[in-house]
Amino acid sequence: MTAVVEKPVQPSARTEPGGAWAAVLALALLETRRLLTRLPVIIAFLVYVGWTVWRDGKAWGDFPALQDADRATQGAPTLVGLAVLLCVNHAALRSRRHGTERHFAVLVLQPWRRTVAHALSALAVALLVAVCVAAQFGREALRPGAIGQGSVGELLVGPLTVLLLGLAGLLIAGLVRSALAAPLLVVFSLFLFLFFWGTSDAANRWLLPIVTEASSNTLPSDLMGRPAAWHALYLAGLALCVGLVAVLVAGGRKPLVSAGLAGAVAMTLAGGVAQTRGDSPELVRARERATVNPEQAQSCVRRDGSTYCAFPEWGPRVDDWARVVDRVRSLAGGGAHERDVAVRQRIEARYGLSGDGALAPLERPHEVTVGTRWGGNRVPEFSAAVAGVLVAGSEKASTSMCDGRMVTVMWLTVGWESDPLAALRRVRLDDSVTGSALVLQPTDGLYMTDAQTEVLRELLDRPRGEVTARVKAHWDELTAPKVTAARAAELLGVKAPKGDDKCLD
Amino acid sequence: MTTTVSASGIGLRYGGTRALDDVSLRLTTGVTGLLGPNGAGKTTLLRVLATALPADRGSFTVLGHDPGTARGRQEVRRRLGYLPQTPGFHPDFTAFEFVDYVAILKEMTGRAARHREVRRVLDEVGLAEVRGKRIRKLSGGMRQRVALGAALVGDPGFLVLDEPTVGLDPEQRMRFRELIAGAGEGRTVLLSTHQTEDVAMLCHRVLVMAGGRVRFEGTPAELTARAAGRVWSSTERDPGARAGWRTGTGSFRNVGDPPDGAELLEPTLEDGYLLTLDGAGTGAGAIAGEGVSA
Repeated sequence: MTAVVEKPVQPSARTEPGGAWAAVLALALLETRRLLTRLPVIIAFLVYVGWTVWRDGKAWGDFPALQDADRATQGAPTLVGLAVLLCVNHAALRSRRHGTERHFAVLVLQPWRRTVAHALSALAVALLVAVCVAAQFGREALRPGAIGQGSVGELLVGPLTVLLLGLAGLLIAGLVRSALAAPLLVVFSLFLFLFFWGTSDAANRWLLPIVTEASSNTLPSDLMGRPAAWHALYLAGLALCVGLVAVLVAGGRKPLVSAGLAGAVAMTLAGGVAQTRGDSPELVRARERATVNPEQAQSCVRRDGSTYCAFPEWGPRVDDWARVVDRVRSLAGGGAHERDVAVRQRIEARYGLSGDGALAPLERPHEVTVGTRWGGNRVPEFSAAVAGVLVAGSEKASTSMCDGRMVTVMWLTVGWESDPLAALRRVRLDDSVTGSALVLQPTDGLYMTDAQTEVLRELLDRPRGEVTARVKAHWDELTAPKVTAARAAELLGVKAPKGDDKCLD
Repeated sequence: MTTTVSASGIGLRYGGTRALDDVSLRLTTGVTGLLGPNGAGKTTLLRVLATALPADRGSFTVLGHDPGTARGRQEVRRRLGYLPQTPGFHPDFTAFEFVDYVAILKEMTGRAARHREVRRVLDEVGLAEVRGKRIRKLSGGMRQRVALGAALVGDPGFLVLDEPTVGLDPEQRMRFRELIAGAGEGRTVLLSTHQTEDVAMLCHRVLVMAGGRVRFEGTPAELTARAAGRVWSSTERDPGARAGWRTGTGSFRNVGDPPDGAELLEPTLEDGYLLTLDGAGTGAGAIAGEGVSA
């Protein structure tokens, strides 16, 4: 052996290290790629996207209210979140499961930095879910007739839930070094969710990631009263807490991590407390005003002599309402053909989103209620309300009708539609086109007897022009109180009905 | 020759057992063999040198860095390749993914350069053709080569191999010897093994350990020379021999102190190793009793 020269040896150019954080990012990319190709995550994403696309086509149709559309993005990502929880947990326990811990312990990148990389992989999936949420909401916003405004806080709930669940999987891997712990946590989470769901009125429901509402009402966005921004802050803080505790458990006892954890705890507490404060007195007053004296919060426009009063966000809907009013009037005879109506948008906002309140029919003449939802069944329902007012004079009078005038009302309701039979089916509570049924409208329903339905069906089988001419010709008698279905049939030139013509008691 | 590892008086105690006792050594460029019976402390020494275990006594440097400090340990790890005795694998990774994963954990971050390096080592260990195959579908020998590739990735200056040829068939062992010989060109390799032929064929230096201490440090020729004049042939097992066994020709090969007039044979490395252990009081007789007595 010859002379010994001992000095620190530098890495060769081929292995020039790029720094610990660059390695964390490289590892995060690898873990993200692996996470996104895990079967549970793929299946969860397929179900999530498939269900969202299917539901988009079924539930909303056109005319979405964006303050509802934002909340509709929250539930489905939970499935992805549960898959991410399981798979991140599985990945974090990979070395333990396959006996590489001893080997990898002497590699440069410390275990806590590897934990950060796993956390970033969960973040990447959460960002992907955020893209899906943005696409889902964007599609709603671009639909014809979209109104209102969404909340960024509500839109963040889905991605933050995915992040929170993924980081929970990571923390569980650090605390319980068994692959069974994560599935058990999933079962426990579902149990907890169902338990809290049962107590959904309590303020503590906001401690859960996703907070559902009992009501299907659409309210103006300033009357929603959901602390969406605080809730997003709470979820972000909670996710950060869980992630940073996982890093601490993995050995990352750095001042920066401890400071981050303190900040995350503060975020969680601030969001958690603020979100459970309940409705402010101003909000309660605003809801009362919007319910009892909506005119104080609305602006009105005139179209073809009729007046349309709507909450500010619904301004763009006036043309759609006016089109229906025009079409219904075009089928009417006598003075009703030219009758100007006042369309008033009304809501029951006093209970917020915690319950659906029914709207009482208006007693003022020629005033029609329109709700906050539109499209689908809401169109023939509004049409029925307009027809009822044109025939009976007021909503109150129309809802207490119990005679053959219902034939004329229903003809006006569906006669102008391109597919009147389909419209009839949609406007009746039981989706029937035969027999008696309750007819829906924005306030109390109307009632069609079996005989009235028979006559209407006969009318719908005849040329529209011919029926319209007969309706106009016999308008006064057809809209006179006490007219029977049989007499209406006679006047309109169809065979007499055989069915029952008695109203509900 | 550059000294890569320099250790002085390393000691490590597990409970009441002294696993390493005053171990001093110096490793230079090339392949150094580490021989010793089970429980001699070979794996413990390798783990200490690979920074997986801290020594509780003594001092040592690896590549000029002191693994006793956090910074020094990181620097050593940056230039270390380690193949443990029973390496684990992530079976659903491909060979490429597994070595790439290890490369990232070695903080190789430039994607293109890292992938080039992964391809290079897989090529070097003869796995270029199967780099896209999942590890669960590879044979035991191929998996062992994946582990060697993972140890080699990043061109480490110090390579620690703990019984890498265990469980391999003769052809695979020959292939592995080629790989280890190649790996020893320009870097320091410490090879722990039970196979004295591996040491004879590969190593420029050899250490023999027993009872947690280094009993011999020198060249394979020097270890072999310890048995010069102490190996002889006889028609019956010589009762005075430390070890003796019947050979394929029917005669007995004896190791120990030959009687006068004995027919001396050319010693091998294994003879020198057995006599070294015997001198260390670790029971060469026991070894003979277990495996090589007639």
